[in-house]
Amino acid sequence: MIELKDSGVYRSALPMKRNGKVGNALFKIAAFIAAALIPLVVIMVFVVLFIEAYPAIKTFGVWHFITSKSWDAVDNHFGAFTPLFGSIYVTLWAFIFAAPISIGVAIYITELAPHWLKPIVTTAIELLAAIPTVIYGMWGLFVLAPVMQNHVEPWILDHLATLPIIGFLFNGPGIGIDTLTTAVILSIMITPFMSSLIKDAFSLVPEVVKESAYGLGATRWEVIRKVVMPYVSSGIFGAGIFAIGRALGETMAVSFVNGNNHNPGSLLDMLSLLNSVTTITVTLADEFTEAMTHLYLSALFYLALILLTISFSTLAIAKLIVWRLERRWKT
Amino acid sequence: MSSIIAIENAKIDIRNLNFYYKKGLKPALENINMPIPDKKVTALIGPSGCGKTTLLRCLNRMHDLYPGIKYEGEIIFDNQNILSKSTDLIILRSRIGMVFQKPTPFPMSIFENVAFGLRLMGINNKTELRDRVEAAIKMAALWDEVGNRLHENAFSLSGGQQQRLVIARAIAVNPEVLLFDEPTSALDPISTAKIEELIIELKKRMAIVIVTHNMQQAARIGDYTAFMYLGKLIEFDKTETIFTNPKEKLTEDYITGRFG
Repeated sequence: MIELKDSGVYRSALPMKRNGKVGNALFKIAAFIAAALIPLVVIMVFVVLFIEAYPAIKTFGVWHFITSKSWDAVDNHFGAFTPLFGSIYVTLWAFIFAAPISIGVAIYITELAPHWLKPIVTTAIELLAAIPTVIYGMWGLFVLAPVMQNHVEPWILDHLATLPIIGFLFNGPGIGIDTLTTAVILSIMITPFMSSLIKDAFSLVPEVVKESAYGLGATRWEVIRKVVMPYVSSGIFGAGIFAIGRALGETMAVSFVNGNNHNPGSLLDMLSLLNSVTTITVTLADEFTEAMTHLYLSALFYLALILLTISFSTLAIAKLIVWRLERRWKT
Repeated sequence: MSSIIAIENAKIDIRNLNFYYKKGLKPALENINMPIPDKKVTALIGPSGCGKTTLLRCLNRMHDLYPGIKYEGEIIFDNQNILSKSTDLIILRSRIGMVFQKPTPFPMSIFENVAFGLRLMGINNKTELRDRVEAAIKMAALWDEVGNRLHENAFSLSGGQQQRLVIARAIAVNPEVLLFDEPTSALDPISTAKIEELIIELKKRMAIVIVTHNMQQAARIGDYTAFMYLGKLIEFDKTETIFTNPKEKLTEDYITGRFG
Protein backbone atom coordinates (compact mmCIF):
# COMPACT_ATOMS: atom_id res chain seq x y z
CA MET A 1 0.00 0.00 0.00
CA ILE A 2 1.13 3.52 -0.76
CA GLU A 3 0.63 5.96 2.05
CA LEU A 4 -0.48 9.45 1.14
CA LYS A 5 1.54 12.03 2.97
CA ASP A 6 -0.70 14.98 3.58
CA SER A 7 1.17 18.26 3.55
CA GLY A 8 -2.04 20.24 3.70
CA VAL A 9 -1.78 21.45 0.10
CA TYR A 10 -4.48 19.14 -1.05
CA ARG A 11 -7.00 20.48 1.37
CA SER A 12 -6.26 24.17 0.84
CA ALA A 13 -8.96 25.87 -1.20
CA LEU A 14 -8.61 26.21 -4.98
CA PRO A 15 -9.31 29.69 -6.36
CA MET A 16 -12.30 28.37 -8.38
CA LYS A 17 -11.80 31.13 -10.92
CA ARG A 18 -12.03 29.95 -14.48
CA ASN A 19 -10.52 31.98 -17.28
CA GLY A 20 -11.30 31.34 -20.90
CA LYS A 21 -15.09 31.65 -20.80
CA VAL A 22 -15.02 34.50 -23.30
CA GLY A 23 -12.69 32.58 -25.59
CA ASN A 24 -14.99 29.60 -25.42
CA ALA A 25 -18.01 31.67 -26.38
CA LEU A 26 -16.15 33.37 -29.23
CA PHE A 27 -14.95 30.07 -30.55
CA LYS A 28 -18.45 28.69 -30.48
CA ILE A 29 -19.79 31.66 -32.45
CA ALA A 30 -16.95 31.48 -34.99
CA ALA A 31 -17.51 27.78 -35.56
CA PHE A 32 -21.23 28.33 -35.93
CA ILE A 33 -20.71 31.04 -38.54
CA ALA A 34 -18.32 28.83 -40.47
CA ALA A 35 -20.81 25.95 -40.45
CA ALA A 36 -23.77 28.18 -41.32
CA LEU A 37 -21.93 29.64 -44.31
CA ILE A 38 -22.09 26.40 -46.23
CA PRO A 39 -25.86 25.93 -46.46
CA LEU A 40 -26.12 29.68 -46.98
CA VAL A 41 -23.82 29.52 -50.01
CA VAL A 42 -25.81 26.61 -51.45
CA ILE A 43 -29.06 28.48 -51.02
CA MET A 44 -27.59 31.66 -52.52
CA VAL A 45 -26.36 29.76 -55.58
CA PHE A 46 -29.85 28.39 -56.14
CA VAL A 47 -31.39 31.81 -55.65
CA VAL A 48 -29.00 33.57 -58.03
CA LEU A 49 -29.43 30.91 -60.72
CA PHE A 50 -33.18 31.09 -60.37
CA ILE A 51 -33.26 34.88 -60.68
CA GLU A 52 -31.01 34.85 -63.73
CA ALA A 53 -32.94 31.99 -65.32
CA TYR A 54 -36.32 33.49 -64.61
CA PRO A 55 -36.91 35.13 -68.04
CA ALA A 56 -36.21 31.79 -69.74
CA ILE A 57 -38.37 29.90 -67.25
CA LYS A 58 -41.20 32.34 -67.95
CA THR A 59 -40.78 32.09 -71.72
CA PHE A 60 -40.33 28.33 -72.13
CA GLY A 61 -41.83 26.80 -68.99
CA VAL A 62 -40.36 23.68 -67.42
CA TRP A 63 -41.69 20.78 -69.44
CA HIS A 64 -41.27 22.49 -72.79
CA PHE A 65 -37.73 23.54 -71.96
CA ILE A 66 -36.51 20.10 -70.97
CA THR A 67 -38.23 18.30 -73.85
CA SER A 68 -37.51 20.65 -76.71
CA LYS A 69 -34.56 19.80 -78.88
CA SER A 70 -34.36 23.14 -80.62
CA TRP A 71 -31.42 25.29 -79.53
CA ASP A 72 -31.60 28.17 -81.94
CA ALA A 73 -29.90 31.45 -81.13
CA VAL A 74 -31.17 33.10 -84.32
CA ASP A 75 -34.80 32.33 -83.59
CA ASN A 76 -34.25 32.98 -79.93
CA HIS A 77 -35.73 29.60 -79.08
CA PHE A 78 -33.99 27.39 -76.55
CA GLY A 79 -34.71 23.82 -75.49
CA ALA A 80 -32.54 21.84 -73.10
CA PHE A 81 -33.25 18.32 -74.22
CA THR A 82 -30.03 17.72 -76.16
CA PRO A 83 -27.51 18.85 -73.53
CA LEU A 84 -29.61 17.39 -70.72
CA PHE A 85 -29.80 14.04 -72.47
CA GLY A 86 -26.11 14.23 -73.37
CA SER A 87 -25.04 14.89 -69.78
CA ILE A 88 -27.04 11.99 -68.42
CA TYR A 89 -26.23 9.59 -71.24
CA VAL A 90 -22.48 10.18 -71.25
CA THR A 91 -22.44 9.86 -67.47
CA LEU A 92 -24.39 6.63 -67.64
CA TRP A 93 -21.88 5.03 -69.98
CA ALA A 94 -18.93 6.36 -68.01
CA PHE A 95 -20.48 4.75 -64.95
CA ILE A 96 -21.03 1.45 -66.75
CA PHE A 97 -17.35 1.39 -67.78
CA ALA A 98 -15.99 2.58 -64.45
CA ALA A 99 -18.05 0.57 -61.97
CA PRO A 100 -16.67 -2.93 -62.57
CA ILE A 101 -13.11 -1.60 -62.87
CA SER A 102 -13.42 0.36 -59.65
CA ILE A 103 -14.83 -2.60 -57.75
CA GLY A 104 -12.05 -4.78 -59.13
CA VAL A 105 -9.38 -2.27 -58.14
CA ALA A 106 -10.82 -1.95 -54.64
CA ILE A 107 -11.01 -5.71 -54.18
CA TYR A 108 -7.49 -6.12 -55.44
CA ILE A 109 -6.07 -3.51 -53.11
CA THR A 110 -7.93 -4.55 -49.98
CA GLU A 111 -8.07 -8.31 -50.34
CA LEU A 112 -5.72 -9.69 -52.94
CA ALA A 113 -2.61 -7.58 -53.47
CA PRO A 114 0.58 -8.72 -51.71
CA HIS A 115 1.42 -6.58 -48.73
CA TRP A 116 4.24 -4.64 -50.35
CA LEU A 117 2.27 -3.82 -53.48
CA LYS A 118 -0.75 -2.23 -51.77
CA PRO A 119 0.73 1.21 -51.08
CA ILE A 120 2.18 1.35 -54.60
CA VAL A 121 -1.14 0.63 -56.31
CA THR A 122 -2.97 2.95 -53.93
CA THR A 123 -0.57 5.81 -54.62
CA ALA A 124 -0.75 5.24 -58.36
CA ILE A 125 -4.52 5.55 -58.24
CA GLU A 126 -4.37 8.66 -56.11
CA LEU A 127 -1.98 10.17 -58.64
CA LEU A 128 -4.47 9.42 -61.38
CA ALA A 129 -7.00 11.48 -59.45
CA ALA A 130 -4.53 14.35 -59.20
CA ILE A 131 -4.19 14.83 -62.96
CA PRO A 132 -5.93 18.08 -63.96
CA THR A 133 -9.00 17.37 -66.05
CA VAL A 134 -7.83 19.59 -68.89
CA ILE A 135 -4.92 17.19 -69.36
CA TYR A 136 -7.33 14.29 -69.62
CA GLY A 137 -9.11 16.32 -72.27
CA MET A 138 -5.92 16.97 -74.24
CA TRP A 139 -4.93 13.36 -73.98
CA GLY A 140 -8.40 12.38 -75.11
CA LEU A 141 -8.28 14.64 -78.14
CA PHE A 142 -4.72 13.98 -79.28
CA VAL A 143 -4.17 10.39 -78.26
CA LEU A 144 -7.38 8.57 -77.52
CA ALA A 145 -9.62 10.05 -80.21
CA PRO A 146 -7.30 9.09 -83.14
CA VAL A 147 -6.93 5.59 -81.74
CA MET A 148 -10.69 5.29 -81.44
CA GLN A 149 -11.19 6.71 -84.91
CA ASN A 150 -8.61 4.55 -86.67
CA HIS A 151 -8.74 1.29 -84.79
CA VAL A 152 -11.58 0.81 -82.34
CA GLU A 153 -14.54 2.40 -84.04
CA PRO A 154 -14.03 0.89 -87.50
CA TRP A 155 -14.09 -2.50 -85.82
CA ILE A 156 -17.25 -1.56 -83.92
CA LEU A 157 -18.89 -0.36 -87.14
CA ASP A 158 -17.97 -3.60 -88.88
CA HIS A 159 -18.94 -6.00 -86.14
CA LEU A 160 -21.36 -4.48 -83.65
CA ALA A 161 -23.39 -2.07 -85.76
CA THR A 162 -24.86 -4.98 -87.66
CA LEU A 163 -26.12 -6.78 -84.56
CA PRO A 164 -29.87 -7.14 -84.20
CA ILE A 165 -31.68 -5.08 -81.54
CA ILE A 166 -28.59 -3.39 -80.05
CA GLY A 167 -27.04 -2.43 -83.40
CA PHE A 168 -28.40 1.11 -83.17
CA LEU A 169 -25.99 1.76 -80.27
CA PHE A 170 -23.10 1.45 -82.67
CA ASN A 171 -24.28 3.33 -85.74
CA GLY A 172 -22.69 6.63 -86.59
CA PRO A 173 -19.82 8.40 -88.28
CA GLY A 174 -17.23 6.99 -85.89
CA ILE A 175 -14.80 9.86 -86.04
CA GLY A 176 -13.51 9.45 -82.52
CA ILE A 177 -15.16 12.61 -81.22
CA ASP A 178 -18.30 11.08 -79.76
CA THR A 179 -20.15 9.64 -76.80
CA LEU A 180 -17.93 6.56 -76.62
CA THR A 181 -14.64 8.46 -76.39
CA THR A 182 -16.17 10.89 -73.91
CA ALA A 183 -17.47 8.06 -71.76
CA VAL A 184 -14.08 6.34 -71.80
CA ILE A 185 -12.29 9.52 -70.71
CA LEU A 186 -14.88 10.21 -68.05
CA SER A 187 -14.67 6.67 -66.76
CA ILE A 188 -10.89 6.93 -66.44
CA MET A 189 -11.42 10.13 -64.52
CA ILE A 190 -13.97 8.79 -62.07
CA THR A 191 -12.34 5.40 -61.54
CA PRO A 192 -9.76 6.60 -58.99
CA PHE A 193 -12.44 8.51 -57.16
CA MET A 194 -14.84 5.60 -57.11
CA SER A 195 -12.28 2.94 -56.31
CA SER A 196 -10.88 4.85 -53.37
CA LEU A 197 -14.39 5.32 -51.95
CA ILE A 198 -15.15 1.63 -52.45
CA LYS A 199 -11.79 0.74 -50.94
CA ASP A 200 -12.71 2.72 -47.83
CA ALA A 201 -15.99 0.84 -47.62
CA PHE A 202 -14.13 -2.47 -47.90
CA SER A 203 -11.74 -1.60 -45.14
CA LEU A 204 -14.71 -0.99 -42.82
CA VAL A 205 -15.63 -4.67 -42.90
CA PRO A 206 -14.54 -5.97 -39.49
CA GLU A 207 -11.51 -8.24 -39.80
CA VAL A 208 -13.14 -10.71 -37.42
CA VAL A 209 -16.18 -11.12 -39.68
CA LYS A 210 -13.90 -12.09 -42.54
CA GLU A 211 -12.01 -14.42 -40.20
CA SER A 212 -15.30 -16.07 -39.27
CA ALA A 213 -15.94 -16.83 -42.88
CA TYR A 214 -12.41 -18.14 -43.38
CA GLY A 215 -12.93 -20.10 -40.18
CA LEU A 216 -15.79 -21.97 -41.84
CA GLY A 217 -13.51 -23.01 -44.66
CA ALA A 218 -14.40 -20.32 -47.16
CA THR A 219 -11.96 -19.48 -49.91
CA ARG A 220 -10.85 -15.92 -50.48
CA TRP A 221 -13.24 -15.55 -53.39
CA GLU A 222 -16.15 -16.90 -51.35
CA VAL A 223 -15.38 -14.52 -48.50
CA ILE A 224 -15.29 -11.56 -50.89
CA ARG A 225 -18.38 -12.53 -52.80
CA LYS A 226 -20.62 -13.76 -50.01
CA VAL A 227 -19.56 -11.79 -46.96
CA VAL A 228 -17.61 -8.69 -47.94
CA MET A 229 -19.78 -7.68 -50.89
CA PRO A 230 -23.11 -7.69 -49.06
CA TYR A 231 -21.43 -5.83 -46.24
CA VAL A 232 -20.17 -3.08 -48.51
CA SER A 233 -23.09 -2.89 -50.93
CA SER A 234 -24.26 0.40 -49.49
CA GLY A 235 -20.73 1.77 -49.72
CA ILE A 236 -20.44 0.69 -53.34
CA PHE A 237 -23.77 2.24 -54.14
CA GLY A 238 -22.82 5.49 -52.46
CA ALA A 239 -19.46 5.56 -54.24
CA GLY A 240 -21.25 5.02 -57.55
CA ILE A 241 -23.61 7.92 -56.99
CA PHE A 242 -20.85 10.26 -55.88
CA ALA A 243 -18.92 9.30 -58.98
CA ILE A 244 -22.00 9.97 -61.13
CA GLY A 245 -22.30 13.36 -59.48
CA ARG A 246 -18.72 14.08 -60.38
CA ALA A 247 -19.08 12.88 -63.95
CA LEU A 248 -22.21 15.00 -64.43
CA GLY A 249 -20.34 18.13 -63.42
CA GLU A 250 -17.24 17.46 -65.44
CA THR A 251 -16.53 20.04 -68.15
CA MET A 252 -12.96 20.31 -69.35
CA ALA A 253 -12.23 16.77 -70.42
CA VAL A 254 -15.65 16.38 -71.96
CA SER A 255 -15.43 19.58 -73.98
CA PHE A 256 -12.39 18.27 -75.86
CA VAL A 257 -13.90 15.06 -77.09
CA ASN A 258 -17.69 15.18 -77.19
CA GLY A 259 -18.11 17.41 -80.24
CA ASN A 260 -20.53 19.92 -78.70
CA ASN A 261 -23.17 18.91 -81.18
CA HIS A 262 -26.52 20.60 -80.60
CA ASN A 263 -28.18 18.82 -83.53
CA PRO A 264 -27.45 15.13 -83.13
CA GLY A 265 -30.57 14.10 -85.04
CA SER A 266 -33.26 11.71 -83.86
CA LEU A 267 -33.37 10.11 -80.45
CA LEU A 268 -32.09 6.88 -82.00
CA ASP A 269 -29.09 8.75 -83.36
CA MET A 270 -28.50 10.33 -79.99
CA LEU A 271 -28.41 6.92 -78.35
CA SER A 272 -25.59 5.79 -80.60
CA LEU A 273 -22.22 5.66 -78.93
CA LEU A 274 -20.55 6.74 -82.15
CA ASN A 275 -22.45 9.99 -82.45
CA SER A 276 -21.37 13.28 -81.00
CA VAL A 277 -23.57 15.03 -78.47
CA THR A 278 -23.20 17.92 -76.12
CA THR A 279 -23.58 18.20 -72.37
CA ILE A 280 -24.88 20.93 -70.12
CA THR A 281 -21.43 21.71 -68.80
CA VAL A 282 -19.90 22.00 -72.25
CA THR A 283 -22.76 24.15 -73.50
CA LEU A 284 -22.28 26.49 -70.57
CA ALA A 285 -18.51 26.66 -70.98
CA ASP A 286 -18.71 27.30 -74.73
CA GLU A 287 -21.61 29.64 -75.10
CA PHE A 288 -21.55 32.29 -72.43
CA THR A 289 -19.29 34.42 -74.60
CA GLU A 290 -21.66 34.04 -77.54
CA ALA A 291 -24.87 34.79 -75.70
CA MET A 292 -25.88 38.04 -77.31
CA THR A 293 -29.49 38.25 -76.25
CA HIS A 294 -30.90 38.47 -72.78
CA LEU A 295 -33.00 35.37 -73.33
CA TYR A 296 -30.02 33.34 -74.57
CA LEU A 297 -28.09 34.22 -71.43
CA SER A 298 -31.09 33.42 -69.31
CA ALA A 299 -31.49 30.05 -71.02
CA LEU A 300 -27.90 29.20 -70.13
CA PHE A 301 -28.59 30.03 -66.50
CA TYR A 302 -31.66 27.85 -66.75
CA LEU A 303 -29.42 24.98 -67.91
CA ALA A 304 -27.11 25.62 -64.99
CA LEU A 305 -30.05 25.53 -62.60
CA ILE A 306 -31.14 22.17 -64.03
CA LEU A 307 -27.63 20.76 -63.69
CA LEU A 308 -27.40 21.92 -60.10
CA THR A 309 -30.80 20.45 -59.33
CA ILE A 310 -29.83 17.09 -60.82
CA SER A 311 -26.47 16.95 -59.02
CA PHE A 312 -28.06 18.05 -55.80
CA SER A 313 -30.86 15.53 -55.89
CA THR A 314 -28.52 12.70 -56.99
CA LEU A 315 -26.43 13.35 -53.93
CA ALA A 316 -29.44 13.67 -51.67
CA ILE A 317 -30.91 10.40 -52.92
CA ALA A 318 -27.53 8.68 -52.52
CA LYS A 319 -27.23 9.89 -48.95
CA LEU A 320 -30.73 8.70 -48.20
CA ILE A 321 -30.25 5.25 -49.67
CA VAL A 322 -26.82 4.74 -48.10
CA TRP A 323 -28.29 5.79 -44.79
CA ARG A 324 -31.16 3.33 -45.09
CA LEU A 325 -28.93 0.45 -46.19
CA GLU A 326 -26.56 1.12 -43.34
CA ARG A 327 -29.39 1.14 -40.86
CA ARG A 328 -30.38 -2.26 -42.16
CA TRP A 329 -27.07 -3.79 -41.09
CA LYS A 330 -26.58 -1.85 -37.91
CA THR A 331 -29.37 -2.61 -35.52
CA MET B 1 9.80 -25.24 -15.52
CA SER B 2 6.52 -26.56 -16.68
CA SER B 3 4.21 -29.34 -15.76
CA ILE B 4 2.17 -31.05 -18.43
CA ILE B 5 0.25 -34.24 -17.87
CA ALA B 6 -0.13 -36.79 -20.60
CA ILE B 7 -3.60 -37.90 -21.65
CA GLU B 8 -5.00 -40.74 -23.65
CA ASN B 9 -6.73 -40.24 -26.97
CA ALA B 10 -5.71 -36.69 -27.71
CA LYS B 11 -7.58 -35.12 -30.61
CA ILE B 12 -4.76 -32.71 -31.28
CA ASP B 13 -1.18 -32.93 -30.11
CA ILE B 14 0.94 -29.80 -30.06
CA ARG B 15 4.65 -30.57 -30.15
CA ASN B 16 7.51 -28.13 -29.63
CA LEU B 17 5.51 -25.31 -31.14
CA ASN B 18 7.14 -21.90 -31.61
CA PHE B 19 5.22 -19.12 -33.26
CA TYR B 20 6.52 -15.79 -34.58
CA TYR B 21 4.34 -12.88 -35.68
CA LYS B 22 7.35 -11.59 -37.54
CA LYS B 23 10.39 -13.56 -38.53
CA GLY B 24 13.39 -12.50 -36.49
CA LEU B 25 11.35 -11.06 -33.63
CA LYS B 26 11.12 -12.96 -30.41
CA PRO B 27 8.58 -15.75 -30.51
CA ALA B 28 5.01 -15.12 -29.36
CA LEU B 29 4.77 -18.77 -28.38
CA GLU B 30 7.75 -20.69 -27.10
CA ASN B 31 8.11 -24.44 -27.06
CA ILE B 32 4.50 -25.35 -26.44
CA ASN B 33 3.80 -29.05 -25.81
CA MET B 34 0.23 -29.87 -25.08
CA PRO B 35 -2.46 -32.40 -25.92
CA ILE B 36 -6.05 -31.40 -26.69
CA PRO B 37 -8.30 -34.16 -25.36
CA ASP B 38 -11.25 -35.31 -27.45
CA LYS B 39 -14.83 -34.76 -26.24
CA LYS B 40 -13.63 -32.55 -23.41
CA VAL B 41 -13.43 -28.84 -22.77
CA THR B 42 -9.91 -27.49 -22.52
CA ALA B 43 -9.65 -23.99 -21.09
CA LEU B 44 -6.70 -21.71 -21.82
CA ILE B 45 -6.10 -19.17 -19.07
CA GLY B 46 -3.41 -16.65 -18.29
CA PRO B 47 -2.85 -12.90 -18.05
CA SER B 48 -3.37 -10.61 -21.06
CA GLY B 49 -0.73 -10.99 -23.72
CA CYS B 50 0.36 -14.44 -22.57
CA GLY B 51 -0.40 -16.04 -25.93
CA LYS B 52 -3.71 -17.83 -25.29
CA THR B 53 -5.42 -16.46 -28.36
CA THR B 54 -2.24 -16.80 -30.40
CA LEU B 55 -2.11 -20.49 -29.54
CA LEU B 56 -5.79 -20.95 -30.33
CA ARG B 57 -5.35 -19.34 -33.73
CA CYS B 58 -2.50 -21.71 -34.54
CA LEU B 59 -4.90 -24.62 -34.32
CA ASN B 60 -6.87 -23.61 -37.41
CA ARG B 61 -3.98 -21.63 -38.86
CA MET B 62 -5.92 -18.40 -38.80
CA HIS B 63 -2.57 -16.61 -38.58
CA ASP B 64 -1.96 -17.53 -42.20
CA LEU B 65 -4.28 -14.74 -43.31
CA TYR B 66 -1.58 -12.26 -42.38
CA PRO B 67 1.87 -11.90 -43.87
CA GLY B 68 5.21 -12.47 -42.23
CA ILE B 69 4.27 -15.12 -39.66
CA LYS B 70 6.20 -18.29 -38.99
CA TYR B 71 5.51 -21.59 -37.23
CA GLU B 72 8.04 -24.08 -35.93
CA GLY B 73 7.28 -27.49 -34.50
CA GLU B 74 4.29 -29.68 -35.10
CA ILE B 75 0.58 -29.73 -34.47
CA ILE B 76 -0.65 -33.26 -35.03
CA PHE B 77 -4.32 -33.59 -35.94
CA ASP B 78 -5.52 -36.92 -37.25
CA ASN B 79 -1.95 -38.23 -37.67
CA GLN B 80 -1.01 -35.30 -39.81
CA ASN B 81 1.03 -32.24 -39.08
CA ILE B 82 -1.31 -29.37 -39.89
CA LEU B 83 1.64 -26.98 -39.97
CA SER B 84 3.02 -28.68 -43.05
CA LYS B 85 2.86 -26.81 -46.33
CA SER B 86 0.61 -29.38 -47.93
CA THR B 87 -2.26 -28.82 -45.48
CA ASP B 88 -5.45 -27.74 -47.22
CA LEU B 89 -6.52 -24.82 -45.05
CA ILE B 90 -10.02 -24.80 -46.47
CA ILE B 91 -10.62 -28.36 -45.35
CA LEU B 92 -8.76 -27.88 -42.07
CA ARG B 93 -10.94 -24.94 -41.13
CA SER B 94 -14.13 -26.76 -41.92
CA ARG B 95 -13.01 -29.52 -39.54
CA ILE B 96 -11.82 -27.12 -36.85
CA GLY B 97 -14.40 -24.41 -36.32
CA MET B 98 -13.98 -21.12 -34.51
CA VAL B 99 -16.13 -18.68 -32.54
CA PHE B 100 -14.90 -15.22 -31.71
CA GLN B 101 -15.12 -12.76 -28.87
CA LYS B 102 -17.71 -10.56 -30.55
CA PRO B 103 -20.62 -12.13 -32.39
CA THR B 104 -19.90 -12.10 -36.11
CA PRO B 105 -23.16 -12.66 -37.96
CA PHE B 106 -22.89 -12.18 -41.70
CA PRO B 107 -25.05 -9.58 -43.42
CA MET B 108 -27.77 -12.02 -44.42
CA SER B 109 -30.75 -13.81 -42.92
CA ILE B 110 -30.62 -16.05 -39.85
CA PHE B 111 -31.17 -19.08 -42.07
CA GLU B 112 -28.48 -18.09 -44.56
CA ASN B 113 -25.99 -17.51 -41.77
CA VAL B 114 -26.30 -21.09 -40.58
CA ALA B 115 -26.48 -22.41 -44.14
CA PHE B 116 -23.30 -20.55 -45.04
CA GLY B 117 -20.82 -23.31 -44.23
CA LEU B 118 -23.15 -25.99 -45.56
CA ARG B 119 -23.43 -24.27 -48.90
CA LEU B 120 -19.64 -23.97 -49.02
CA MET B 121 -19.54 -27.74 -48.67
CA GLY B 122 -21.77 -28.07 -51.68
CA ILE B 123 -25.05 -28.89 -49.94
CA ASN B 124 -27.67 -27.28 -52.14
CA ASN B 125 -30.59 -29.66 -51.73
CA LYS B 126 -33.29 -27.54 -50.12
CA THR B 127 -34.67 -30.19 -47.80
CA GLU B 128 -31.30 -31.31 -46.57
CA LEU B 129 -30.19 -27.74 -46.10
CA ARG B 130 -33.28 -26.92 -44.09
CA ASP B 131 -32.96 -30.01 -41.93
CA ARG B 132 -29.31 -29.39 -41.17
CA VAL B 133 -29.89 -25.72 -40.42
CA GLU B 134 -32.75 -26.62 -38.11
CA ALA B 135 -30.67 -29.26 -36.33
CA ALA B 136 -27.78 -26.86 -35.83
CA ILE B 137 -30.00 -24.09 -34.49
CA LYS B 138 -31.68 -26.55 -32.14
CA MET B 139 -28.34 -27.83 -30.94
CA ALA B 140 -27.34 -24.23 -30.27
CA ALA B 141 -30.50 -23.87 -28.12
CA LEU B 142 -31.74 -21.05 -30.27
CA TRP B 143 -34.65 -22.67 -32.06
CA ASP B 144 -37.33 -21.53 -29.60
CA GLU B 145 -36.25 -17.95 -30.13
CA VAL B 146 -35.71 -17.83 -33.89
CA GLY B 147 -37.53 -20.85 -35.34
CA ASN B 148 -40.39 -18.73 -36.59
CA ARG B 149 -38.31 -15.92 -38.05
CA LEU B 150 -35.48 -17.62 -39.88
CA HIS B 151 -35.66 -15.21 -42.76
CA GLU B 152 -35.17 -12.10 -40.73
CA ASN B 153 -31.87 -10.32 -40.77
CA ALA B 154 -29.33 -11.81 -38.37
CA PHE B 155 -28.51 -8.35 -37.08
CA SER B 156 -31.98 -8.11 -35.58
CA LEU B 157 -30.99 -10.62 -32.87
CA SER B 158 -29.61 -9.64 -29.47
CA GLY B 159 -25.89 -10.00 -28.76
CA GLY B 160 -26.34 -13.29 -26.90
CA GLN B 161 -28.60 -14.68 -29.63
CA GLN B 162 -26.12 -13.59 -32.28
CA GLN B 163 -23.36 -15.45 -30.47
CA ARG B 164 -25.47 -18.63 -30.32
CA LEU B 165 -26.31 -18.14 -33.99
CA VAL B 166 -22.61 -17.98 -34.76
CA ILE B 167 -22.12 -21.18 -32.77
CA ALA B 168 -24.96 -22.80 -34.72
CA ARG B 169 -23.22 -21.72 -37.92
CA ALA B 170 -19.96 -23.26 -36.73
CA ILE B 171 -21.48 -26.59 -35.63
CA ALA B 172 -23.68 -26.94 -38.70
CA VAL B 173 -20.72 -28.32 -40.64
CA ASN B 174 -19.97 -30.98 -38.00
CA PRO B 175 -16.53 -29.86 -36.96
CA GLU B 176 -14.38 -32.25 -34.94
CA VAL B 177 -12.90 -29.43 -32.90
CA LEU B 178 -14.44 -26.11 -31.94
CA LEU B 179 -12.29 -23.17 -30.85
CA PHE B 180 -13.77 -20.42 -28.70
CA ASP B 181 -11.93 -17.14 -28.28
CA GLU B 182 -13.42 -15.52 -25.18
CA PRO B 183 -16.93 -16.15 -26.45
CA THR B 184 -18.74 -14.53 -23.54
CA SER B 185 -16.64 -11.49 -22.77
CA ALA B 186 -19.03 -9.22 -24.67
CA LEU B 187 -22.18 -10.76 -23.16
CA ASP B 188 -24.35 -10.27 -20.10
CA PRO B 189 -24.40 -12.91 -17.32
CA ILE B 190 -27.58 -14.63 -18.51
CA SER B 191 -26.36 -14.96 -22.10
CA THR B 192 -23.02 -16.13 -20.70
CA ALA B 193 -24.72 -18.89 -18.71
CA LYS B 194 -26.57 -20.05 -21.82
CA ILE B 195 -23.37 -20.23 -23.84
CA GLU B 196 -21.63 -22.13 -21.06
CA GLU B 197 -24.45 -24.68 -20.89
CA LEU B 198 -24.25 -25.00 -24.62
CA ILE B 199 -20.50 -25.63 -24.55
CA ILE B 200 -20.95 -28.40 -21.97
CA GLU B 201 -23.59 -29.94 -24.23
CA LEU B 202 -21.40 -29.64 -27.32
CA LYS B 203 -18.43 -31.45 -25.83
CA LYS B 204 -20.33 -34.72 -26.18
CA ARG B 205 -19.72 -34.41 -29.90
CA MET B 206 -16.42 -32.64 -30.32
CA ALA B 207 -13.24 -31.43 -28.71
CA ILE B 208 -13.53 -27.90 -27.41
CA VAL B 209 -10.82 -25.38 -26.68
CA ILE B 210 -11.82 -22.15 -25.01
CA VAL B 211 -9.73 -19.10 -24.28
CA THR B 212 -11.08 -17.26 -21.30
CA HIS B 213 -10.19 -14.27 -19.21
CA ASN B 214 -12.49 -15.45 -16.54
CA MET B 215 -11.01 -18.04 -14.21
CA GLN B 216 -14.39 -18.94 -12.78
CA GLN B 217 -15.53 -19.77 -16.28
CA ALA B 218 -12.55 -22.06 -16.74
CA ALA B 219 -13.35 -23.72 -13.42
CA ARG B 220 -17.03 -24.07 -14.31
CA ILE B 221 -16.79 -25.60 -17.75
CA GLY B 222 -13.20 -26.76 -18.29
CA ASP B 223 -12.35 -30.43 -17.93
CA TYR B 224 -8.73 -29.56 -18.49
CA THR B 225 -7.03 -26.24 -18.00
CA ALA B 226 -3.82 -24.87 -19.44
CA PHE B 227 -2.14 -21.94 -17.77
CA MET B 228 0.03 -19.80 -20.01
CA TYR B 229 2.42 -17.05 -19.12
CA LEU B 230 4.62 -14.89 -21.38
CA GLY B 231 4.22 -17.13 -24.40
CA LYS B 232 4.96 -20.33 -22.51
CA LEU B 233 2.73 -23.10 -21.32
CA ILE B 234 3.31 -23.30 -17.58
CA GLU B 235 0.93 -26.01 -16.59
CA PHE B 236 -1.61 -28.30 -18.18
CA ASP B 237 -3.72 -30.55 -16.03
CA LYS B 238 -7.22 -31.50 -15.03
CA THR B 239 -9.10 -28.35 -14.11
CA GLU B 240 -9.64 -29.63 -10.59
CA THR B 241 -5.94 -30.10 -10.04
CA ILE B 242 -5.06 -26.69 -11.49
CA PHE B 243 -7.46 -24.91 -9.19
CA THR B 244 -6.94 -26.93 -6.04
CA ASN B 245 -3.45 -28.28 -6.19
CA PRO B 246 -1.34 -26.68 -8.90
CA LYS B 247 2.14 -28.04 -9.30
CA GLU B 248 3.74 -24.78 -10.42
CA LYS B 249 4.26 -21.78 -8.20
CA LEU B 250 3.31 -19.40 -11.06
CA THR B 251 -0.01 -21.15 -11.56
CA GLU B 252 -0.78 -20.93 -7.90
CA ASP B 253 0.07 -17.23 -7.80
CA TYR B 254 -2.18 -16.58 -10.76
CA ILE B 255 -5.22 -18.50 -9.62
CA THR B 256 -5.01 -17.03 -6.15
CA GLY B 257 -4.96 -13.58 -7.69
CA ARG B 258 -1.47 -12.62 -6.65
CA PHE B 259 -0.79 -11.23 -10.12
CA GLY B 260 -2.47 -10.89 -13.47
